[in-house]
Amino acid sequence: MSFKYPVVMPKMSMTMETGELIIFHVAVGDHVKNGDVLFEVMTDKIDMEVEAPADGVIEALVANPGDVVEIGKPVLIMLTETEVMAFDFGSDGEPVAAVEVVAAPVAPPVAAPVVPAAPVILNETVKAVPKARVEAANRGIDLRTVRATGPDRTITMEDVNGAQLDPAIAKRQAANKALIAKGIEMTRSIAQASFTRSVNANFDHATLIAAWAKVLRNRPDLAAHQHVGVALIIESKYGSALPVFRDPDQLTIADLVALVASTTQAAKNGKVPVAMLSGATTTVFDLTTYSMSSATPLLFPNQVTSVTIGYESATTKIVSLTIDLNFCDFYDGALLLDALVASL
Amino acid sequence: MLTMAEAVREAMSIAFDERPEVFLLGEDVGIYGGAFGVSGDMYHRYGAERVLDTPIAELGIVGAAVGAALSGMRPIVEIQFSDFTAQAMDQIANQAAKIHFMLGGALHVPMVLRTPQGSGTGAAAQHSQNLEPWFASVPGLKVVVPSNPADAKGLLLAAIDDPNPVIFLEHKLLYKIPGRDPVPEGATRIPLGVSKVVREGKDLTIVATGIMVNKSWEVAEKLAAEGISITLIDPRTISPLDMGPVFESVEKTGRLMVVQEGPAQAGFINEVIAQLAGSSSFGSLIAPIKRLAGMNIPIPYAPQLEKAAVPQFDDIEAAAREIVKNWR
Repeated sequence: MSFKYPVVMPKMSMTMETGELIIFHVAVGDHVKNGDVLFEVMTDKIDMEVEAPADGVIEALVANPGDVVEIGKPVLIMLTETEVMAFDFGSDGEPVAAVEVVAAPVAPPVAAPVVPAAPVILNETVKAVPKARVEAANRGIDLRTVRATGPDRTITMEDVNGAQLDPAIAKRQAANKALIAKGIEMTRSIAQASFTRSVNANFDHATLIAAWAKVLRNRPDLAAHQHVGVALIIESKYGSALPVFRDPDQLTIADLVALVASTTQAAKNGKVPVAMLSGATTTVFDLTTYSMSSATPLLFPNQVTSVTIGYESATTKIVSLTIDLNFCDFYDGALLLDALVASL
Repeated sequence: MLTMAEAVREAMSIAFDERPEVFLLGEDVGIYGGAFGVSGDMYHRYGAERVLDTPIAELGIVGAAVGAALSGMRPIVEIQFSDFTAQAMDQIANQAAKIHFMLGGALHVPMVLRTPQGSGTGAAAQHSQNLEPWFASVPGLKVVVPSNPADAKGLLLAAIDDPNPVIFLEHKLLYKIPGRDPVPEGATRIPLGVSKVVREGKDLTIVATGIMVNKSWEVAEKLAAEGISITLIDPRTISPLDMGPVFESVEKTGRLMVVQEGPAQAGFINEVIAQLAGSSSFGSLIAPIKRLAGMNIPIPYAPQLEKAAVPQFDDIEAAAREIVKNWR
């Protein structure tokens, strides 16, 4: 038995709406294994390789290199032996399954040489007068985007004063605004509840992730997957990244500490490993860096829980749990939070 | 209008009249009136007991002054050329500067060492140096570098009052020049360790010492006519150094230029740059800091080369113009 499975443009960030197809790594008729690279995609934030979700055969290529493809729209069609269900925490929540796609297959990419759009070249070592750095930081200007007219290609105050807000940042600010508005609207119709406990303990992200995964491990009814995937929200200048730690409770704590540290660093540089971009079953958000105590987060689609850590005092933190009341009740929520706090 | 030599003489005379324990010693300060005529007629007014001609022996002169200071006197030493302080350095750096501290503050060394420095007189490498970093790098010494007669008078009176050693470095070329401001009558002191904002502008801050204050002033005058306005700061006392006005000014102008006659390498003026670079005012800079200083060479004897070895009016003017024009 075989299934027709469309591999779609993935949603790689909260604000991503489209992605540009750069190049195919496969041709029609190729046999691929789960994890093989199928094609490369470029967005305003990251470039990434999209992998095969299962073993199979490439049946058709439905987009052309250079095309800007909306998220969720098919890029190629695979025939698979197993049914693939794709849950992606960042997608609109509709599971993508085998659907009949009517699209004319295009010629293999070898027929037309691919010329990727020239990426914006950013000058990594910026020379700027000290006050220009202060001013740029205040106004959210990325100095790498500012044209330097001063001696020895140094950015002067005049350069910064004449600079426009980085279009990428402006776009993200606008998108964030829209997201927030949408979120507020959605909150009114969502059945979710939050629980809060004060914890007199100091713990790092790895400890929290492992503890929370262990708690969820005992509640397979609360996850749509066989695994536990804990997404950790990491802020960077490129926007929020949500790398997913799969089954973190099965790693040694030392390995997990190292993995969280390296992933956090990578996320801050805008480079989350592709393998860590999907498979979230719950989300953790640390508010302490903002000195905030608690928030009521919106649950991501397909997730029924999320945990936030808030600042209370130098020695105490606030652990909050948000649950989807469609899947569990208040009693479940209290038990889950109690179990989490107990294991911290 | 008094010249700097006259203003220094007036300050010494006031101190002589105020305190019987004040006296002057040095080579040719008595009958001859001083190599640069600074002590002038003081020998005739105060007598050989208080204006002492000494042998040519700098170590002995300063040693005698340190001993006198320890026993209650207030000596003023004149060393004929600052270059010769090398001979007396043990008494200056190891004795005068340290005694108060090594004896737990039990004793004081209230002496002033006055000495002419600087190039421009055709006196060659051994008579033309600017050695202020030697002294400024010895804790326990206060170091004064006056740039005009009025400051010289007020600062010297404060130096003589000071309970511990003060090095007073007078530029030879300033001795015969009247100041822009008249020297105040009377015995008004100018406290040590207070920088003076000589003029205020919005485009550039210049910190200059000694004779470079005068040259920078002339440049500021000229550029003001072209719409470039300059703040000029004279630290006056280089140790202890008062950086407050420099921070304040750089926060307004965003540009800093420092000017000294002594060699650039390890020069005193580098301290101004270092302190600014380490302060929060650093974030106000809109231009790299410009340093103008002497070349790292012994002062040449040939007049054209002697002139070329230290910053001149044209150098300061060009640098000031460039920093304001290039960094906006």
